Amino acid sequence: MTMIKDAVNAFCSPVIIFTASMVCFYLFVRFPRQATSMAVSLPLLGLALAGFAFGLTDDHFRKIITTPDNVPIVGMLFIFLYFTWYAVRKGVINDQRMERGESTIEQTETNEKVLVFPYLIFIEFVMALAYAIVLVVWSIFLKAPLEEPANPTISPNPSKAPWYFLGLQELLVYFDPWIAGVLLPTFIIIGLCAIPYIDRDTDGSGYFSFKKRRAVISTYLFGFWILWVLLIVIGTFMRGPNWNFFGPFEKWDIHKTVPLLNINLSEIIFIKWLGIGLPKLWIVRELPGILLTLGYFMVPPAILAKTKLKSAYQKLGPVRYAVLMMLLLVMVSVPIKMYLRWAFNLKYIVAIPEFFFNI
Amino acid sequence: MAKPNPSLYSVQKTFFWFAVTSVLLTASLAGIVYIDAKRDWKDYQKAFFKLKAEKATAELKQAASAVDKKELEKLRAEHSAARKTLESNSKSILDLNAKLTAAELEITKTKVVFQDLKQFEDSYRYYYEEYTAHHDPRAASYAAKLAEIKPRVQEAKIKLEKAEKGRDTVQAGLDALLRQEKEAQKKVDQLLDETTRIERKIEAVKPSFAKDLLNAPMLDFIAPTLEIQQVVLENLHDDYHFAKAQKVDRCTTCHMGIDQKGFEDAPQPFRTHPNLDLYLGSMSAHPIEKIGCTTCHGGNGHSVSFIDTAHTPRDEKQKAEWEKKYGWRDLEKWEAKMLPLQYTQAACAKCHTGTVEVPQADKLNLGRNLAVDLGCLNCHKVEGFEGLWKVGPDLTAVASKTDETWVSKWLQDPTRFRPSTKMPRIFHLENQAGADNAKLEDAAIVATAKYLHHHSAHPEVLRAPQGDAAMGEKLIKDLGCLGCHSAAGVTAGTHGPELSSLGSKVNADWLFTWLKDPKRHSATTRMPSLRLSDSEAADITAYLMSQRNEAFDSAAAPKADPKAVDDLILLNLQSKMRHEEAVAQLSKMAPDEKLLYLGERTIAHQGCYSCHDIRGFEQAKSIATELSDEGRKNLHQFDFGYVHDIPHTRQDWIRKKLEDPRVFDHGKVKGYYERLRMPHFGLSEVESEAITTFVLSLTQEEIALEAQDLLTTDEQRIERGRRLIQKLNCQGCHSFDGKDAILRSITEDPGAAPPVLHGQGSKVQEAWLHDFLQHPTTIRPWLKYRMPTFGLTDTETQDIVRYFALLDGRQTSYRGEVLQEVSPDRLAAGKELFEKLQCAKCHQITASSQAMGASFLAPDLTLTKHRLRSDWVIDWIKDPQAMQEGTMMPGFFPDMQSPLPDILGGDAQAQIEAIRDYLYRYDPAAAAESTAS
Repeated sequence: MTMIKDAVNAFCSPVIIFTASMVCFYLFVRFPRQATSMAVSLPLLGLALAGFAFGLTDDHFRKIITTPDNVPIVGMLFIFLYFTWYAVRKGVINDQRMERGESTIEQTETNEKVLVFPYLIFIEFVMALAYAIVLVVWSIFLKAPLEEPANPTISPNPSKAPWYFLGLQELLVYFDPWIAGVLLPTFIIIGLCAIPYIDRDTDGSGYFSFKKRRAVISTYLFGFWILWVLLIVIGTFMRGPNWNFFGPFEKWDIHKTVPLLNINLSEIIFIKWLGIGLPKLWIVRELPGILLTLGYFMVPPAILAKTKLKSAYQKLGPVRYAVLMMLLLVMVSVPIKMYLRWAFNLKYIVAIPEFFFNI
Repeated sequence: MAKPNPSLYSVQKTFFWFAVTSVLLTASLAGIVYIDAKRDWKDYQKAFFKLKAEKATAELKQAASAVDKKELEKLRAEHSAARKTLESNSKSILDLNAKLTAAELEITKTKVVFQDLKQFEDSYRYYYEEYTAHHDPRAASYAAKLAEIKPRVQEAKIKLEKAEKGRDTVQAGLDALLRQEKEAQKKVDQLLDETTRIERKIEAVKPSFAKDLLNAPMLDFIAPTLEIQQVVLENLHDDYHFAKAQKVDRCTTCHMGIDQKGFEDAPQPFRTHPNLDLYLGSMSAHPIEKIGCTTCHGGNGHSVSFIDTAHTPRDEKQKAEWEKKYGWRDLEKWEAKMLPLQYTQAACAKCHTGTVEVPQADKLNLGRNLAVDLGCLNCHKVEGFEGLWKVGPDLTAVASKTDETWVSKWLQDPTRFRPSTKMPRIFHLENQAGADNAKLEDAAIVATAKYLHHHSAHPEVLRAPQGDAAMGEKLIKDLGCLGCHSAAGVTAGTHGPELSSLGSKVNADWLFTWLKDPKRHSATTRMPSLRLSDSEAADITAYLMSQRNEAFDSAAAPKADPKAVDDLILLNLQSKMRHEEAVAQLSKMAPDEKLLYLGERTIAHQGCYSCHDIRGFEQAKSIATELSDEGRKNLHQFDFGYVHDIPHTRQDWIRKKLEDPRVFDHGKVKGYYERLRMPHFGLSEVESEAITTFVLSLTQEEIALEAQDLLTTDEQRIERGRRLIQKLNCQGCHSFDGKDAILRSITEDPGAAPPVLHGQGSKVQEAWLHDFLQHPTTIRPWLKYRMPTFGLTDTETQDIVRYFALLDGRQTSYRGEVLQEVSPDRLAAGKELFEKLQCAKCHQITASSQAMGASFLAPDLTLTKHRLRSDWVIDWIKDPQAMQEGTMMPGFFPDMQSPLPDILGGDAQAQIEAIRDYLYRYDPAAAAESTAS
């Protein structure tokens, strides 16, 4: 028992769990037909539930999971999984039908229109009753998670944001606050608003389909599942006192001490590699980082426009292509920065404390 | 419109689910009502009412049996006889009743007429006045209306009065008929008064269907019999950091019998408070409607569930019991938990501030006194306890007293030399265990001893003459040393150190010098001078020097391992400079220099100077944590380390720390100078519990001034005196102010014990007491005990004089006695009385006039005029027993009857005054002359 728990704890280090999630995600979008088949998904669900049930035998895990304000997150996890599975499965079925030259399910249903009232309204009313039951039962069994009266001299440790913001709070570990707290959320909102203007493809609209929209769906799901949901889960269940990382079966010990020695890119280049010490002038000191960042945003879009994404470039035109690439690169920069931190203890690529600018 | 595909849109299916959800929703709503209605406190109230009904039923039985059966029978018979008479008159009663109804109707009618007219009159009057004031012409018409209505009102009034009279007449007739029966009924009722009262009480608490209905869910908002009980406390608040909420205590919702007598043996939560005279009652010092419950007990007064109120079990056993019975768990998110029962007294100090002792809080007082005595408050700063004396001896001249070897052996383990010592163990404790650490500790000890001797002053020491040890032992017992010290085989005072094994510690010359005048060796010592003669001092010295501790003498002295010394010095130096510089500095030091440096560092590290005066540390700051708000310190700030065998609560941490001060270092890897430093006091369980109570009492909680027990200026002065009395240990020898003297308890003949000082402020003159405290003289020559000279300053003396005066409700004036003019006759009468009553038989007038046991002896009366207050003398002669119970002074004037009726006409008051006047004018020189002639 202890051995299993220790193994799970070890597996749940940020780098392993993040990489493993990405691998699973890749397998899911690469083999959607197999992944959504009952033969694979039911055993996986069984495994997940069994793992969950096993976890509940652990005092600490149970305490974290059943804390009244964490219960919705557990529920959310299963609901999100279900809906992702459901949508992709519908797409896969339609793909298969289309391959066989049949029409999509949606098309066949189009012929059987009924009135909203009473048919839809009635069903919605019944669902509203069902929700009311859930809320009532919930309120009976889970009491409001009240804490002690706020005390200005004592900060709660860990101090956590509302659960839906814990993904962003997790980003604070890797990014300067103005990026994690201002820039990235702004990009998320702008990016979501921009989707209909960038993706004007009408092909595949009106019915579920995976094959026709593999790239678009995969990109969206990556942002949603890996960069939002996964980070919330990590932030909620695996960050304990002093924002230290804890495995699911590890007790949240306030005294846990782990070394955290992060260095800036300029220090790696000028001290470790060149051995000449940091230049006094910030512009010289941070030049490599600035060049690297600029290069990251300029070079790949240019090359891709000529090679792999030539057709997309032609379809979108330079402005929309540039906006898309910008958004994509910002999104991808999140895991890149995380990996750089894990691999090289890299603190900032550009660090200019002179005017509080860090990337 | 096509018919919907049943596999997609089935109305039947939807109906089915509608039915299912409707039922489930109704069930869940019923669940809400159930959860809302099901409260533990309701069950407790029901149980309490049942208990109350049972008790009342038992009471009723008793009351019913107490009723005189024969008497009752007789009265009942009388009553039924009266009833029978009444029945025979039923016709006339009916008649009268009809008349009465008619009369009442008449009254109603006339009353209406009168009231109507009266309203018109009032209205006319208003308009008339209003218009007249504003010179409105309409005034005239209202004057006319008023004039017209006045007689009508008068007429209506007369009619009404007439109708009322008519009714009264009929009523009187009816009453006369009914009187006999009513009186008989009243007699029966009176006899059954008690049982009826109890029956009513039972009725009020007995379960019934109506009550069940009133308490039913959804109906219980109307007039439930089960209700939350609460007290809202006007001046007390719960501090929620950002807001202060008025304290609301709902404890009585379940603890329903807490303020009622008769539930002393009831099971909890219904038991009566164990001290109703002091708490809860409206006449007690702490009425529940003013003080509430959580003010003292702590916890969450708003809540009515066992867990949310933050009950705290008193021990593991109770915890297990509660877990089983109530599903108790620690309320993690609530800071203000209840104090476990054994520490409740900690809450007294919230409101009772500024006093040396809190009345009736014996555990808290013990803890406080221990904290003062053991020097806890020398190291730990606590607001309100500043400026205390250092409890340890002055070490600025230690070299003249003892030698380095003794000091180092003592430091290793003070209890080895003297088990009763208050000096805690500082070195060789559990967090310094192991051979390596032992070497470091020994090095630090040797260095400390070296430092102390090197920096010691060498005041001149007298040569001790040869003394008689047996005589010395007797003197120790006779002179009063035992008021403060235990010595000569007698366990007595603990104020000063036990006087054992001194031969192994000090040198005779120093001891002799010290005994002669302690202030000569140490200006700050609390030890007073007993004004010993050279031979007395020499005798005591001889006795004390003969006491040795052989085991201690033969024990090996600790040695300073040079490497350990170097290691420690290096550790110290490295905290201030780089490693290489530290090594260089160390290599430059001579061996003696090393020890002195290490000694200085050790004293600074251990904070020895907090309790002892040490040269070179006059300005040093204490090393310990401030404890002013320790009773409220956040639990997260207590480091439990790897100690898991105690509950993680504030009180358990404090207690563990007191019992085993270094335990929280257990399992931690720490450098020599990083380890915990609190010394080991070897406290008993009672002591550690008392000190824990004291530490828990230290809070800076803001309590509204109205709610506090504020001291008046006089009370503050009394407390200042008490603090001084505590410091000087006056109560070691004298009984007063609620404390009994130690010496009195070990003196066989109470007459030979130091005087009791109850009422001293009313007894003696301030100027005399002031002089006496500074320069004691002999008042009772037969006493062997000697009042010591404390070397008090004028301010201290005044404080004590004022303290005694204020204790007796007097103000100090230092004015002395103003003698009234007295006629020579009266003086002569006084002299005659004085002689006839044989005052001089016990009271010393001349040195040769004593021939009795100590108990019968009395003070020298020649001192009276300067010493005593004249009004006290009067009271004393009147009734000595009332003033001082058990005194040998006879009462000559029982019930103010004089035994000598022929003097001053037998007037007792005049006689007593004459004696007083005689005493105040008594001149020993003149008396001696007259005796001689």
